[in-house]
Amino acid sequence: MLSRYTKLYYLFCKQNLKVMLEYRMDFLLGVLSVMLQQFAGIFFVKIVFDHIHALNGWTFYEILFIYGIAATGRSIHHIFFDNLWTLGWQYIRPGKFDRLLIRPINPLFHFIADRLQQDGFGQLFIGIIVIGTAMPHLGISWGILEFFILVVMIIASGFIFVAINLFFATLSFWMVDSLPIVWTIFNLSDFARYPLTIYHKGIRHFLTWIVPYGFTAFYPAAYFIKGSGFERLALLTPVVAIFSCIIAYWFWNRGLKAFTSTGS
Amino acid sequence: MRKYIEFARVQMQVHAAYSAWFWANTFSILLRMLVIYFFWKAVYSSRTEIEGLPFEGMITYIIIAMFLQMFVSGVGQELAHTIKDGNVAIELMRPYNLITRLVAMDLGDKVIHFVRGALPLSILAFIFMDITLPSTWQSGLLFLFSAFMGIWIGTFFDLLIAILAFWTINLWGLQVMKEAVISFFSGALVPLILFPEWFQTISLFLPFQAMVYVPVAIYTGILTGTEAWLALGSQIFWVVSLFVLLRILWSIAIKKVTIFGG
Amino acid sequence: MIVVKNLEKHYKIAKRDPGLRGAIKSLFHRKFETKKAVKKINMHIKAGEMVGYIGANGAGKSTTIKMLTGILTPTSGEVKVNGIIPYENRQQNASHIGAVFGQRTQLFWDIPVRESYELLKHIYEIPQAQYEETLKEFVDVLHLEPLLGIPVRQLSLGQKMRCELAAAFLHRPKVVYLDEPTIGLDVAVKVRIRAFIKQMNARYGTTVLLTTHDMQDIEEICQRIIIIDDGSVIYDGSIQDIKSQFGDKRVIHFELEDAADSFVLPETISEVTEVLPRSDEDPHLVSLSFSNKNISGAEVIHTMMNHYSVADLTIADAKIETIVEEIYGRGMKKEVQHEEIH
Repeated sequence: MLSRYTKLYYLFCKQNLKVMLEYRMDFLLGVLSVMLQQFAGIFFVKIVFDHIHALNGWTFYEILFIYGIAATGRSIHHIFFDNLWTLGWQYIRPGKFDRLLIRPINPLFHFIADRLQQDGFGQLFIGIIVIGTAMPHLGISWGILEFFILVVMIIASGFIFVAINLFFATLSFWMVDSLPIVWTIFNLSDFARYPLTIYHKGIRHFLTWIVPYGFTAFYPAAYFIKGSGFERLALLTPVVAIFSCIIAYWFWNRGLKAFTSTGS
Repeated sequence: MRKYIEFARVQMQVHAAYSAWFWANTFSILLRMLVIYFFWKAVYSSRTEIEGLPFEGMITYIIIAMFLQMFVSGVGQELAHTIKDGNVAIELMRPYNLITRLVAMDLGDKVIHFVRGALPLSILAFIFMDITLPSTWQSGLLFLFSAFMGIWIGTFFDLLIAILAFWTINLWGLQVMKEAVISFFSGALVPLILFPEWFQTISLFLPFQAMVYVPVAIYTGILTGTEAWLALGSQIFWVVSLFVLLRILWSIAIKKVTIFGG
Repeated sequence: MIVVKNLEKHYKIAKRDPGLRGAIKSLFHRKFETKKAVKKINMHIKAGEMVGYIGANGAGKSTTIKMLTGILTPTSGEVKVNGIIPYENRQQNASHIGAVFGQRTQLFWDIPVRESYELLKHIYEIPQAQYEETLKEFVDVLHLEPLLGIPVRQLSLGQKMRCELAAAFLHRPKVVYLDEPTIGLDVAVKVRIRAFIKQMNARYGTTVLLTTHDMQDIEEICQRIIIIDDGSVIYDGSIQDIKSQFGDKRVIHFELEDAADSFVLPETISEVTEVLPRSDEDPHLVSLSFSNKNISGAEVIHTMMNHYSVADLTIADAKIETIVEEIYGRGMKKEVQHEEIH
């Protein structure tokens, strides 16, 4: 079962990569533009830190580290799960979703595997560079264990992005296209680029326990920052990721059921 | 003329219909304002001024720049898609100028966005976020004129980029790249006076600072007197040259459609 | 193979008053209207049968097919395809059905046809040897060889449909649903596609349910047709029967010089012809329906010319829609339902 899906995913990926290489200019332009976009954000932080030494007690490299984890986590979503954006207007509205329902494989798997988003590689690239730049300045020694935890944290961050987008994209089964909602919620992740401590308590709780974008960057980063006071909470990141994915998948199945009984 | 006014009017109605996107936009802007507010509050937590700007001046600059940035893009997206899906050939047969029509529609868009989005939201910002009024009534007037110019520069630039769709494929990438460059150089994120010297010199020769930085700097009193008038002059220069460039590039592109079939 | 009992599907349609006020009102209090898309349908299709499923647009055809494929859950009633309830075990059902849905492609848009088939091979877990054998056979019959290397988006409509058909039959499904497989195609391609479907049926005993507006498709492929109108089965029987009953049907449209408000059938032909309901769009149009066993077309035209000044006329074929309308109009509904031919 699992090996079958792994193999299928590999085959889907191979096809998607072939298409990507067919449009080489597109690939480069996409990657480059996303890199530039990320770079603008980093540049902004740099400019601000040219004039201050610390932001609410957080140093430039600490902020950079948070930023890097956010970018890398988001790139996982951007590369592999980008199709979630298109559920309403490209699948349900034109009737293309029916195609997935008459195949003998899980429709969510098929839907996700249908696309690989090249542009996300730009984000991944920048994210890794930023993390790499910030790492030596955090005042901790990086051993195998630390690296391992970092990778787990980043993957968890990515899957929190996925779970949140999946949850709100699923609304499309009832309302044809939930893109405006998905987009608005996604914009909440802007908060996650800075330490949550700078925000009002209400916002902080909201981003921790309701829409857990806090766990996509700030908490995982705080794990590696000495004296941040969030080391314990940070360890919850993978748990939050798993929990969010379960809820989102449950909701997706509810949506699918509603869809097959109204068929609109 | 009459028909273009009609296009603008219809566009406003189209927007009134898409209320989901209206609320999504409004809500997203509110979120962004919150992020900006708390971020700068934190920046100023241990100091009273940066490059001579106190917190009120900074937040006023950032918020107004954010609103203005929403108006400096245009209907490029629409033009690019018309080109991509091949409808441009049909559009060219219609009894109007495609570019003028798009600009008219864009105007309709902007009016409705201003009335329904920017105006109420900026009033909210005034009440809750320590935003100040322009230092003098002259600078207020000058700001209005300068912002008007900035919006035209942005609109023309947007269309210029869109015409590149005749030669490129990845529209989304092009769009993102344009947005990134504009956020960079236009001073939409931070006032250009915070940038390193060399960066300020480069941006002086680019059209982007004329889109956002100049009007907002006039509003907040960063640019005054002769400096302000000079900046206005550069804006006029950019409006005219971008307009001419747009016409030239468009006629080349059209030739490509009519001779080579797109 | 396919057993359908008392199948019903109702849709709830939200009613909304026009304008902004209506939109706001509907946020708090919604009024629903129930539309019965499919009403108490029964059918029993045996393995290896090829059945034409026809009816006007909106009659309930695609709703039925969606329920048979498992895309839609019925409001009530029962469906079993090859012993499986499709909407409860959708994936299991999917592994032994194939489908072509009109203009919507089942293939992967950006990749070459051959690669699409490769992917389908893995999705349906087709053994390599069987896959190679099947593909070779399809390539020969449908002349796919030159198309295999081309991405689907670059194919013409006819080429695409040939590739679609091969994809639908690739895993040797027990049942194949074909929704308008020949729409918009030229005659040569239609012929090839019909031959292919018949060959698949002869060779693998594939059960085929075909919806189409093309009478020729039905005549060449199907032994049996089921006609649906307004959600109910109004005819279920052999194609010979329907042909002998309605194949002689003719309709002639007359465009009169004057408005036809006060049109009365000339007495000499009033026994054997019938005036079809008039449309509001064209006040000058009168359509007469008759059987050419009773009266010849020439005679109808001749009589009409003698009584009215005719500006123009067109002779229509016995279209499937005309037949459906005719059957429905004659109130044969009860008759055929009692017959239970199959």
